[in-house]
Amino acid sequence: MTTSSSQSTTLWSDLLLRAMAELRELYNPLEDQLADSQREDFAHLFDGSAKLDEMLQQSAPNRHDLMNVLSAIRGYGEMLREDLATEHAELDSALTRLLKGIQAANSGGDTSEPASATQRTITTEPGFILAVDDLQENRELVARYLSRSGHIVVTAAGGEEALRSLDQADVDVVLLDLVMPDMDGREVLRRIKEHPEWRATPVIIISGRQDMDGIIECIEAGADDYLFKPFNPVLLQARIKAGIERKRWHDREQLYRQQLERNEKFILATFGRYLSDEIVTDILERPEGLELGGDLRRVTIMMSDIRGFTSLSEQLEPAQVVSLINRYLAAMTDIIMAYHGTIDEFIGDAILAVFGAPQYRDDDADRATQCALEMQAAMEEINRLNREDGLPEITTGIALNTGDVIAGNIGSERRSKYGFVGHAMNVTSRIEDVTAGGEILIADSTLQSLNNQYRTGDSRELKVKGIDELLQVHQILESDR
Amino acid sequence: MTGTILLVEDNELNRDMLIRRLVRAGKEVVSAADGQQALDLMRSEKPAVVLMDMNLPILNGWTACRQARADDTIKHIPIIALTAHASDADRLNALEAGCDDYATKPVDFPGLLIKIEKLTGNC
Repeated sequence: MTTSSSQSTTLWSDLLLRAMAELRELYNPLEDQLADSQREDFAHLFDGSAKLDEMLQQSAPNRHDLMNVLSAIRGYGEMLREDLATEHAELDSALTRLLKGIQAANSGGDTSEPASATQRTITTEPGFILAVDDLQENRELVARYLSRSGHIVVTAAGGEEALRSLDQADVDVVLLDLVMPDMDGREVLRRIKEHPEWRATPVIIISGRQDMDGIIECIEAGADDYLFKPFNPVLLQARIKAGIERKRWHDREQLYRQQLERNEKFILATFGRYLSDEIVTDILERPEGLELGGDLRRVTIMMSDIRGFTSLSEQLEPAQVVSLINRYLAAMTDIIMAYHGTIDEFIGDAILAVFGAPQYRDDDADRATQCALEMQAAMEEINRLNREDGLPEITTGIALNTGDVIAGNIGSERRSKYGFVGHAMNVTSRIEDVTAGGEILIADSTLQSLNNQYRTGDSRELKVKGIDELLQVHQILESDR
Repeated sequence: MTGTILLVEDNELNRDMLIRRLVRAGKEVVSAADGQQALDLMRSEKPAVVLMDMNLPILNGWTACRQARADDTIKHIPIIALTAHASDADRLNALEAGCDDYATKPVDFPGLLIKIEKLTGNC
């Protein structure tokens, strides 16, 4: 079975059944003016059409039978055209379309069995279909077609009923008749597309005649597809399938977007702008999310401070202070984030950052140390820019300490942030107090945690409140690497 | 005047249509619904031409054709095969069975009329 042959079956039968529907409409008002034989021809033509319709519903109609029916339709069509074409132009054009449909069937069916084309069954996951039509036989017909392929079909006889059904069930596709007495199909469509929850539900418009203007109007108003009555069951199935897929796709997308928004909102609220993009991405990509219930973890804490900043700021204009501090903090932030540090806080000109939370890595102490070295190195460029702008040169001292802290959401319900508490934080602050401008001092605990070798300078011992023994700190000069 | 046309077609819808059309075209038509009836009518009516569907009950078109060709009293009567199949093999099958010509369904009626006229020598 080839796709082209199935397409051609769909096309010709669609063409044929549409032309036939048109002929039926044209026939009714003309009936009385016609001769007996012409009325008989019409009756036979419609018999043939009914037969064809029936055959197209079969999964594999016999080619021989199909060709006989088409042959009969063609014969009556041609006879009627010979008789009536000159007097009834619209009949002539409908008959011409009918005969073209037969021609298309014939040329499309020459090389392949049309049976195989119509036996093409549209498989799709079952959907929940709402069929809205004021005519009972149409509702039943659609319900029969669609429940055979496993769909759940609910029907509504009018607009109000349709809207009630939409309210009660999660409908996948709406099949909507255009012309209905109580509420016009256009109005039902408008209400669906205005409703925040229904608007994504695909609507297939079914029009009883070739009401192209109505169809165009509906598509402009948000209808997804259309079918002419009487419809070819295969075409109906195909459009339903497409509709269900659209709806499912939308639902999945919606769910995914909601999840993403929730996650992002949470992450943003929790980490603010203090986390590097990489860490945020990492957390967002972890399906189980991040446990933030407060846990004890070993981290390397960094504190830095501009030496003598308080007295410096007293000599400057407020705007100068802000531009000085922003230049410094912007540069430092970039470096800290590049080394995957988590910036916990800026306190004035001081920076508190942590390496190892929310994610522990083996090289937390090393990254903190390298980060500190790069921060010091960056001061040269910052001061060059300061000189250009007529601002004073500044120096910073950086302290590192490695120890256990409790990391988690700290604060009240109204205001909380991912933060750290513990004695190690205070110890870091104590080291920072004794760090000179341009100097990096690391605690012995950090030195012990390093994997790489760094050039160390002087070592000192500090008295820290709350610890009996003296704290050993080391000056870091530069990396040996 | 062509003379009587024997239409052999089991499909009622198509048979009625063809009879109607042939009559409208001024032809005299007798019809049969299976291969055996066709042979009987060929013998009794001596039609000028036979239009024969190939997929027939009781006796299929190909067999009926062969039997007609084997019967001296009717072997001269031209037969036009009506077939839903349009492949070369199908055409050959019909011609091999002894048909003089063929027309594919859905039948092109003016074309069929020309074939009839040709075979009955009126053209």
